[in-house]
Amino acid sequence: MSRPASQSGPRTSTILVAMVAVLASIILCCCIVLFLERYRSAMIQNARTGSAQAVSQVSTTVGGYLRDMEQAMELVERSMWSGPDSRDELLSTFLEFRPDVVAVTSYSAAGELLDCWSLGRAPKRDILRNLSFDLERARSSSGPYMTSPHVVTIFESWYPWVVTMTEPLPEQGGGAAWVSLDLSFSGISGYINNVSIGQRGYCFLMDRAGNIVYHPQQQLLYAGLKSEDTAALAALADGSYADDTVIYSLTSVAGSDWRVVGVSYVDELVDRSVREMIRLSLWLAALVLAAALLTSFLLSQQLSRPLRGLASAMETFESDADHFAYRPVGGAREVRELSASFGHMVVRIQQLMSTVRQEEIDLRKTELKALQAQIDPHFLYNTLDSIAWMCEQGRTADAVKMIHALARLFRISISRGHELIPIAREIEHAQNYLEIQKYRYKNQFTYSFDVDPECLDYYCNKITLQPIIENAILHGLDLLVEEGRIDVRVCREGEDILFCVQDNGVGMGPEQVRSILEEDGQDRAGIGIKNVNDRLQIYFGRQYGLRIVSEPDAGTRVEIRMPKVREEGEHETK
Amino acid sequence: MKRNRPSVLCLALALCLLCACAPGPASPPRRSVALIVKSTDSEFFLSVFAGARAAAVEYNLDLTISGPETEEDYEAQNRMIAQAVEGGAEAIVFSAIDYEHNAPAIDAAAQRGVRIVSIDSGVGSAHVSSYIGTDNYAAGRMAAQAALEGVEGALHVGIVTYNEGTANGQERVRGAQDALAESGRAQIAGVATTLVDAERAQIDAAGLLRAHPEINVLLALNEPTSVGAARAVHQLGRRDDLFFVGFDSNVVTIDGLQHGCVDALIVQNPYAMGYLGVRSAYRLLAQQGGLEAVVDTSTQIVDRDGLFTMDGQKALFAFDRYQD
Repeated sequence: MSRPASQSGPRTSTILVAMVAVLASIILCCCIVLFLERYRSAMIQNARTGSAQAVSQVSTTVGGYLRDMEQAMELVERSMWSGPDSRDELLSTFLEFRPDVVAVTSYSAAGELLDCWSLGRAPKRDILRNLSFDLERARSSSGPYMTSPHVVTIFESWYPWVVTMTEPLPEQGGGAAWVSLDLSFSGISGYINNVSIGQRGYCFLMDRAGNIVYHPQQQLLYAGLKSEDTAALAALADGSYADDTVIYSLTSVAGSDWRVVGVSYVDELVDRSVREMIRLSLWLAALVLAAALLTSFLLSQQLSRPLRGLASAMETFESDADHFAYRPVGGAREVRELSASFGHMVVRIQQLMSTVRQEEIDLRKTELKALQAQIDPHFLYNTLDSIAWMCEQGRTADAVKMIHALARLFRISISRGHELIPIAREIEHAQNYLEIQKYRYKNQFTYSFDVDPECLDYYCNKITLQPIIENAILHGLDLLVEEGRIDVRVCREGEDILFCVQDNGVGMGPEQVRSILEEDGQDRAGIGIKNVNDRLQIYFGRQYGLRIVSEPDAGTRVEIRMPKVREEGEHETK
Repeated sequence: MKRNRPSVLCLALALCLLCACAPGPASPPRRSVALIVKSTDSEFFLSVFAGARAAAVEYNLDLTISGPETEEDYEAQNRMIAQAVEGGAEAIVFSAIDYEHNAPAIDAAAQRGVRIVSIDSGVGSAHVSSYIGTDNYAAGRMAAQAALEGVEGALHVGIVTYNEGTANGQERVRGAQDALAESGRAQIAGVATTLVDAERAQIDAAGLLRAHPEINVLLALNEPTSVGAARAVHQLGRRDDLFFVGFDSNVVTIDGLQHGCVDALIVQNPYAMGYLGVRSAYRLLAQQGGLEAVVDTSTQIVDRDGLFTMDGQKALFAFDRYQD
């Protein structure tokens, strides 16, 4: 049976797996996007905090250094009031202890270099320009001040980079109005060079105006290979600023106009870990997705496999309900319940089917009985008619013979209600019948029996031959002028038994033959032959029954085919 | 068998996850770069080294630095190239003493797969990926121009030059000659070719000045010859009536600039040469691309007025020199 509608279309498992995949993907995507967004902003915040912390530490350290230098300056100031010898001694000791102080210089009110202390060096005689001291700036500033980085230009062949701290002397000690300290960067480079914010981040010092004081890569800046946008940075207040690539953190150094700037890179602090997190979450997502798919796959297997089993069981049941043996299908509870219901249904349907079949058989039996009941009165009427006729003629002996034959006939006919009787009995029945008829028709015909003895023990429907013979006599021989003849032959043919009744009567045309077998004709003989055929076919099936070969003016041959039946009841359940 | 499929799938997934959790590929080994220059004691090359080291630190390179004793010994340079190749250098940053005679060694190194970056002074090899340095012709012109601006009237120019095989010196001479010739009021009184050594240069420059007393402009075309020439000017007491233009930054010439022995300096950017040379080598090795064939590092004229400006200081005084 073809069932295109039910066989096409996706399976439950496919639908389930696809649905889970789509749902899981959507949820995972949303989760990952949200998570990464939050993670990135948290990382940026983190990086800003880290950068601000690093910068504030540097600022504290640089502040400490500057306070240190102010104290040193106080020391230097005090030394200015001492005598020249003790002052020289004091300052050279001081310089030895503070290697980052390149030179101590004092200046007159007119800005002339009065004195210079530097370890192992004296200033050259004609100084082109002293970058360590700027009279105008010194005059304009009330207190101490710090210069931008510059080169010390007062020595021969020695040009270190320094910043200069200049302080006015309140009362011109030793004749000096200002004293300056040239500070090399060795004091602060250590702090600043070692600051690392992330892998590439760094920090540098600049003043409020945006001049770089110290940068870990100062020479790169000076060589023009690198630049810092200090003008923009100078405009910013203290705090952390993050753009797409760089995080700047600015902190002022307490007590000075220096500011510490921390530079760190978003990509290494944030992007890298975000990328790592993306990678991780993608793997996680893949795992979760795979797990979801696997689970749904297994789940659908649990559900759909037994369902498929159930479906194929139903198909089997549909194609052959009689021999279907119900086997329970396992799986989910729902499926088990379904299976159990199906089991009940199968049992119920099989019961119903056997009931229907039994009823059908019963019905046929009833019909059969009715048919048999139809046969008997015809014959009895005919025979009694003959006997009556004999008695009228005074042929007592013949009548007695006839009555005996009739009695035997009926004994066999009744056969204690059995439908099937041994073929021997049926032959006997036919012989009795022919004997009766021969009396009736005053020996107008002769008859012969040719029976295969092997057949005698098989069974056949009772009263099978008699209606045929009756028909042969009534329609074949009765109208014949010369002597008629009836040959009855019983033989085996393969698995079947073949009864053959041959007469040399007037015969029938094809139309008549068909009408005898098919039509429910009104004359009694027709009924008789059709009854035989119906009974045989009800009992043994369509392939059995009567075959009539007849030729007008030549005779009729009726073949009765039935299976070899060993005993009564063998075919009754069929 | 069909039942096994999910478990196989599961196993494969677990394996994949394990692989993902495994540590990524180890960081690549440090690339080895050799810097071979003409000299290891001039301030110019000390700045080159400082720049090179800064780049090596920045790009995590294994940097070896070498140079011959004298700036004429191209054979020593060729040996150093061979040694560097043997030593496993993957790139050589090279300043050639001799444009022609260093070429075969560079070619041989390039044949072995070593990448070549030329700095300061070029080499006649087709395998040079990039040249980083001064536009020497322009620098020569700049020196002549400084003299033309500083001296009125007729110029009698003496030139102290060096090794005729060295590319940068020859280009500077050519630049100076062209600029002087174009001015129409200058003539070259004499050219002294000396060794790249301050003492020899002083002797040869003094000789030149004595042989041509009419010389009122002296050009010295690299650092050691400038040092020697400055001393010769001082020695001969010519600091006032002679306009001397030197090359590069050296304490002697800077002192001279303040005294008056030196009137202008053409200052190159050796730190940038070293830094960019090594950086280019790194980019070649890392196959980052984007390398220019010629990178012109800045050159500027510093005279007495410009000496202590911020730009002058930045150009002349190496920041790292006196640190620590």
